[in-house]
Amino acid sequence: MTDAAMVYVVDDDNSVRAALEDLLASVGLPVRAFASAAQFLAQPLADVPACLVLDVRMPGLSGLEFQRQMQTLGLQLPVVFITGHGDIAMGVKAMKSGAIDFLAKPFRDQDLLDAIHQGIAQDRARRLADADRAEIGGRWQTLSDGEREVVQLVVKGLLNKQIAHQLQLSEVTVKVRRGNAMRKLQLSSLADLVRLTEKLGV
Amino acid sequence: MKTPSLPTPPRRRRGLHLTAMVLALALLFLIDTATRYEVAVSVFYTVIILAMAHALTWRGLIVLSGSCVALTWLSFLITSYGDQRAGLVNMLISTVAIVITGYLACTAELARAAAHEAQARLLRISRIHSLEGLTTSIAHELNQPLAAIVTSGHACQRWMEQDPPQLDKARQALQRILGDADRASGIIARVRKLSKGEPASTRPFVFNAAVREVLALSHAEMQRLDIAMRADLAPGLPLALADPVQVQQVIANLVLNAMEATALVDVARRTILVESLQQADKLVFRISDGGPGLPAGAQEQVFEPFWTTKHEGIGVGLSISRSIVEANGGHIWAEPHAPGGAVFTFSVPVAPAEGEA
Repeated sequence: MTDAAMVYVVDDDNSVRAALEDLLASVGLPVRAFASAAQFLAQPLADVPACLVLDVRMPGLSGLEFQRQMQTLGLQLPVVFITGHGDIAMGVKAMKSGAIDFLAKPFRDQDLLDAIHQGIAQDRARRLADADRAEIGGRWQTLSDGEREVVQLVVKGLLNKQIAHQLQLSEVTVKVRRGNAMRKLQLSSLADLVRLTEKLGV
Repeated sequence: MKTPSLPTPPRRRRGLHLTAMVLALALLFLIDTATRYEVAVSVFYTVIILAMAHALTWRGLIVLSGSCVALTWLSFLITSYGDQRAGLVNMLISTVAIVITGYLACTAELARAAAHEAQARLLRISRIHSLEGLTTSIAHELNQPLAAIVTSGHACQRWMEQDPPQLDKARQALQRILGDADRASGIIARVRKLSKGEPASTRPFVFNAAVREVLALSHAEMQRLDIAMRADLAPGLPLALADPVQVQQVIANLVLNAMEATALVDVARRTILVESLQQADKLVFRISDGGPGLPAGAQEQVFEPFWTTKHEGIGVGLSISRSIVEANGGHIWAEPHAPGGAVFTFSVPVAPAEGEA
């Protein structure tokens, strides 16, 4: 791990929590541990790729419920579940709801570390994609309404002439707007333009 | 494994019984010998046999009946006045009466012994049963320190492998491992204590500690069932005088019942309140659950054998609990819980000793 990252551990058992904190520290992973989901939520999250190690069973709010709640709270952390008495059904449920892994205590340290690294990598990718989307979204905002209309028809595969006809414009105007749009979006090919609109969902 | 038994009445009382019996026999023998043949005093030997029926074993009853017959005959031989034929008839009637009474007393005693034996066996079954109910909980309870030990072990290894080895960190990890190992062996010691088939031993013990041990074992199961448990144990209680293991068994039984009942309702309503307090010369354990409660008018019935509301229950838990509590000099009762649910309460005597908990 060269880049900054953070591992959050939520487990109500003091011994397990202390051991996990130490294990992660021993491999140089920054870690913050909490005894309950509520305590975890009360803290502001660090602005770095992160992964959440969550005990399935906790007093108050179960890990699975908490995972569901995270979505409504807009928390997109990858979750690695650990459990004292996990059954297969619970594991399936956890994995289906998008958990990175479901480990029964006691687990091999390497299994946990692998899962955590995978989680952090996934979070990093998501954060990059988010940033990327935010950037091109910003560029898209600089286009005028007319330019957007033209782009939306271009990516449908229409020729300039057809677009001009449909929008009741001259072919020259279509060409100018198309060129402006490509410049503002910093693109050089039609293929790039198609990919970008797909990414933005416009 | 020894069969646990309920505490037996103190030896002193038995000695008193035997002395009274010998005196009564001697008195009856003297009267019988001193009176005329026509007076059938010897029939009253049956009263002594009946009086002793509960205090003697069946062997003792046979010996007693034999002695009564022998004394009757001896009186007949020694007595020298009155109608000898009437005396002979009287003696024979008395003999038959004594033999029949003795036989009936023996049969009753054998039946009682069998019932006692069956109860002792049920007691053991219920102990195993209550432990079984806690197995998941115990397994989880034990798994936590073991998981912590394994993780700390891995961490320790990694601190050692660093260059240079982080000995301080490794030492801290080892310290945690030792602590967690202690915690694990403490759990095992508690389980062993509960499962041991020790004969009943009434002695002073710290009531709240006994309660806490059982609660600790049921902790994980409470969590699994999403039950919020609150323990409100009165501080500074005097020592209790009872068999601690049997009392813990009753507590475990009531806790298990409460958990099963509470698991039937909505998660939001799943609460259990455990209390301990002193009432005059008794210590009281009370558990209130938020379950569906008992059917109307069932407060007494629940303690009857084979009465149950559970699908898989056989209905002996509470009846055994009552036997145990009463044998330990206490009472057990059930009440409806105001917001819904049931309250079970039992009491045990306070130890007269000077020690304070």
